[in-house]
Amino acid sequence: MKTRRDVYQAIADPTRRAIINMIASRPHNVNAIAEKFDITRQAISLHVKILTDCGLVKIKQHGRDRYCEAQLDQLSEVAAFVDQYKQHWESKLDSLETYLEMLKKAKYGK
Amino acid sequence: MENDQNSREGRELIMSRMLNAPVELVWEAWTNPEHIANWWGPDGFTNTITTMDMTVGGEWNLVMHGPDGTDYKNKNIFKEIIPFKKIVYEHVSSPKFTATIEFEEQGEKTLINWQMLFESKEQFIQVVKTFKADEGLKQNIGKLNVYLEGMKTH
Repeated sequence: MKTRRDVYQAIADPTRRAIINMIASRPHNVNAIAEKFDITRQAISLHVKILTDCGLVKIKQHGRDRYCEAQLDQLSEVAAFVDQYKQHWESKLDSLETYLEMLKKAKYGK
Repeated sequence: MENDQNSREGRELIMSRMLNAPVELVWEAWTNPEHIANWWGPDGFTNTITTMDMTVGGEWNLVMHGPDGTDYKNKNIFKEIIPFKKIVYEHVSSPKFTATIEFEEQGEKTLINWQMLFESKEQFIQVVKTFKADEGLKQNIGKLNVYLEGMKTH
């Protein structure tokens, strides 16, 4: 099976979300990120690689350091689908509203 | 990461609506199986309520019949019921979530607050993704229909 590499994959993991939160305000180098977590440097590198593949992180080389910079535009895609999903539930309230009008007419004749 | 799991952020949906009906009527439309079957479910769906035991721990089972003939079984368990005020139920079929519906009397109107809390952010994202896929599928079917219509007229 081909591994999915999209924004959903990127944010599906709590460590990756924490990394995004961390670098959202300013770029961090990979070592600085690794120090903040209780997992191996290798594991952090893998998460960073997935984030890069998903297009949420850009790596910039500064001398000997590799800096991770957040690319947050893609996150709006998720927000848009959350919104659509919400609309789906809102439509239930629309139906309830319409149904209540019918019930009112039937009950009180108004 | 424990904090991350406990936080409600990113795994809940909140909606509210002022309904132009007294709370007694809203409650009846919600809790009477004959009524709820008439408005539950997406557009084009019909519903069969198989069980609706409105007691704490009671089951609420329904089948939503899709426009294409597909049946979607839903199993729910009521967690809390305060007449004319609050309903909490757990949707135990996938995707799992807990829905809290609060009814607030406002004279002849009722403010309804509807909150759905998913088990985790991962699950919520999964649901949204699936929904996205469904929407895509629907659009494809729509496109196919238009295409077939086009073929017929030629």
